[in-house]
Amino acid sequence: MALADSIVRRRRGPRWLRGWRIVPVALLALVFVFPFLVMLSTAFKETGDIFSAPPTLLPTTWTFGNFAEAFEDIPFWRYLANTLFVSGLSVLGTVLSCPLVAYALAKIRWRGARPLLIIVLLTMMMPPQVTLIPVFLIWNGLGAVGSFLPLIVPAFLGTPFLIFMIRQFLLSVPNELIEAARIDGASEFRTYWSIVLPIARPAIVTAAVFQFVWSWTDFLNPLIYLGNPDQYTLSIGLYSFFGENDVAWGPLMAACVLFTLPALVIFLIGQRFFIGGISAGALK
Amino acid sequence: MRGITVRRRQALTGLAFAAPFLVGFSVFIAYPVAASGFYSFTDFNLFQPPEFVGLDNYARMADDERFWIALTNTLLLTVTGVPLSIIIAIAGAHLLNLPVRGQPLFRALVYLPSIVPIVVGGYLWRWLLNTEYGFINYFLGLVGIDGPGWLVEPEWTKPAIVLMSLWTVGGTMIIYLAALKEVPRELYEAAALDGANWWTKFRHITWPTLSPVTLFQVIVNVIAYLQIFTQPYLLAQTRLNDAGAGPGQSMLTYAMYLFQNAFSFLKMGYASAMAWVLFLITLAITIVILVSSRRWVHDGSR
Amino acid sequence: MIRTSRGRRRLGVVVGALAGSALALAGCSAPVASGPEQITFSYLWGGAEAEAIEAIIADFNASQDEVEVTGISSPDFQKQLTSLSASQGSFDISDHFGNAVGSWASKGILAPLDELLAANGVDPAGFAPASIEQLSYDGQIYSLPIAVHTFQLLYNKTLLAEAGVEVPTTIEELETAIAALTKVEADGTITQLGLGDPSPSTTITTLGYAFGGDWDADGAPSPTDAGNVQALQWYYDNLVAPVGADQLAAFKSGLGEYMSPEDPFYTGKYAMVIDGEWRAVNIPSTAPDLDWGVTSIPYVSTALADTTQLTVSTLFIPANSAHKEAAAKFLAYLVSDEGATAFSLALGNLPAKLSLVGSPAYDDIPEFSVWLDALAGDNVHALSSAPYSAEYSTDLGLAFDEVLTGASTPEAALQKVADNSSNYATE
Repeated sequence: MALADSIVRRRRGPRWLRGWRIVPVALLALVFVFPFLVMLSTAFKETGDIFSAPPTLLPTTWTFGNFAEAFEDIPFWRYLANTLFVSGLSVLGTVLSCPLVAYALAKIRWRGARPLLIIVLLTMMMPPQVTLIPVFLIWNGLGAVGSFLPLIVPAFLGTPFLIFMIRQFLLSVPNELIEAARIDGASEFRTYWSIVLPIARPAIVTAAVFQFVWSWTDFLNPLIYLGNPDQYTLSIGLYSFFGENDVAWGPLMAACVLFTLPALVIFLIGQRFFIGGISAGALK
Repeated sequence: MRGITVRRRQALTGLAFAAPFLVGFSVFIAYPVAASGFYSFTDFNLFQPPEFVGLDNYARMADDERFWIALTNTLLLTVTGVPLSIIIAIAGAHLLNLPVRGQPLFRALVYLPSIVPIVVGGYLWRWLLNTEYGFINYFLGLVGIDGPGWLVEPEWTKPAIVLMSLWTVGGTMIIYLAALKEVPRELYEAAALDGANWWTKFRHITWPTLSPVTLFQVIVNVIAYLQIFTQPYLLAQTRLNDAGAGPGQSMLTYAMYLFQNAFSFLKMGYASAMAWVLFLITLAITIVILVSSRRWVHDGSR
Repeated sequence: MIRTSRGRRRLGVVVGALAGSALALAGCSAPVASGPEQITFSYLWGGAEAEAIEAIIADFNASQDEVEVTGISSPDFQKQLTSLSASQGSFDISDHFGNAVGSWASKGILAPLDELLAANGVDPAGFAPASIEQLSYDGQIYSLPIAVHTFQLLYNKTLLAEAGVEVPTTIEELETAIAALTKVEADGTITQLGLGDPSPSTTITTLGYAFGGDWDADGAPSPTDAGNVQALQWYYDNLVAPVGADQLAAFKSGLGEYMSPEDPFYTGKYAMVIDGEWRAVNIPSTAPDLDWGVTSIPYVSTALADTTQLTVSTLFIPANSAHKEAAAKFLAYLVSDEGATAFSLALGNLPAKLSLVGSPAYDDIPEFSVWLDALAGDNVHALSSAPYSAEYSTDLGLAFDEVLTGASTPEAALQKVADNSSNYATE
């Protein structure tokens, strides 16, 4: 791998030019991260310092008071534990269910594949506003309102968006690999488990990261389904910085920075898997 | 005889693999969707028994000025937002795929906006877009451009919405990044030996691998833009908790109007009818995309 | 990719063994056989306001042993609606806004309160009449006012002194003051507005009353009432026409966030605003250096002096609560003089009770009495809370927007609202 890389690199122009490649990449990242930098700097600003014309990025005086206030206003660790619990189990559910369904859509030759794909697509097309109440009433009928179940169980049943995404990835997996395993007498599940899953790892990790971030940032579902404040997730906690008429900008931004950091770490860990070139080796 | 058995076994295998979704679908999707279909033919306020009114709700849409404004706004956002998302995502994925020092960090930074809760992001953008206190017009001013009044001039509100939506295009970019990993690298080397330029390489090597993912991205983005709600909803607020539709209703999207009917006006019957119309519009557009995709998508399994 | 996709994750239930065994069903509190009756108070407030409310709840719990209240901060009204749509709700008392009461009551989701109030010795006559009127439907009271708001004219003393303008008391004086306090540069750029509009809808509806108009004459939308049209025309003539709609928009696009230190009234970009009593609490902490005053909205004729609009935050008991009597006991405590004082001080809002007008409890808040005393006046109006109200106020907001951007005339815009009102929900 390393050897191959070095060969490829040697072909891409002189060394000084290669060093410059970091410029567009860094610029791209800067554009995307800039609003976050504004948030970060606000978290360290004193109230009177937050808005100015023209705007400034650096605080005139640095303060940690907003972070202190953020920790004071919401039971941060409790909410963090709840959020991790919900997000973690949702990711587990997604990883178990979505690739299975996607495999049935992409690589098993059966008459149901086409209709099922259409159903998955159709499911994504219905605006969520109108199904909110009927779905709530179902959970209510099942007696699960007030528990974590409505936030976690859906992930175990597959998310259409992620199923569709993994299915699209599986399409580009050569059928020969799967056929070969089948001819060797492997069961369908074994083929799936030991051949397809490893190849699909980048897509599955991507799905896991998406699921994690959705669960992490979801606001409406925790609010509707969780019964008491001991169960609340961080995204609900962020709302305590919005007053009826005004926003506590400093503490909100501080809390938001704290809110994004764990998810950022998860992303950094997750991306090692879909970036490490693992699948490239498996494919060839 | 044997053919039938094999086919049946295949069907059973397929069902078994699809079982989680089938359970989820039948319990949690089929009923609510059917219910909304039924409500669309009724006068229903969420709390009292629905009253059958036939096609009234659908007929009313034809004369509802706000319905047409919302639909037009939404379609305009879709036709500008989707292509921009796809182009920026593909270009960005290529940049993020360059072997540079700190590459994982750059990738994380581009994805970071997707982790910021969208409501906080909305307020952040209202601030960035402010002509006095915001950075966007400040930067435009540095290069000699007198920036527009993003949120008060009707012709600039949609670019503002698209801009804020593009901020979270990192997710799409990540999917493309994962897809780029599937591009057979030795083909590039062969092409480089042949002296192919970047466009030829992209067209004949990269694109065949990216095209199924692009089909997926186009469909998903079209659906998302047709349902776009939170970004315009937040940007159109004149102040906290004061929901508006922007100057001249230029920020009223379909989903906003649907939401307003469902939860402010408690006209769930009309909202359900609107949902079904949007559903049919989405379906029609998706079918067009799928049909056209036979020309431009390279399916590895075919 | 736009993140609306998260709204799509609404599939599925019960991979029973897998999920069920892994999860503890926390939060399902079993009914307690003896001891105080447990009720849940779900409120929309958050942050510092929520803390203050928790303190009031703790006081109530300590004051008696029949009812124990648990508070939940739940900052989104969709949660209320979902809970209200179930046969048994997740809360027993909650807060909302006065303009929704008629609509909700007509749908049977609010518990009627007349009997419950009588049983707990709460006299509706003790509240500002305009508020009780808004909270009644079909002769029954369905909510109680926990906090109310009136709107008065705030002014920047420094800017008025600079321009040599007296505090206006009549509408003509207000016109003169606006003209004198509006500053426009040679190229048309606005640098200061005589009268700002933090919420055009509220300002214009309030002015409608001040011009003798009525937005809901005879229990139906009456947008084209003469006073309303006059008020909107006045607003356009004095606030939009002199500076131009485009310049006004450009000016507004650079204003700071409402009630932040860069609020245009605090930075001197607005010389005057018509706004609610929460300003009196906000200014000392956010803009301590501002030299400001507040006065009644200038009158068109003496008979219409001291006109203001009342908006109401309410408490209600949902019809699907299993603990209505216990909730009513708590409700009675919250609207008692003691509870209402604590509540209004915590929120920086007016108490709805006439008995608290002139109460020394509010002496520490500067100028609060101007808003508070208005409660007892004769020219206090509230918009109707009929089933059509939500659509009506949306349409009014759009009509005002059309007029202010110069896209329509007051008559035409308000006539359009009147024409559209036949489509409104009637129940």
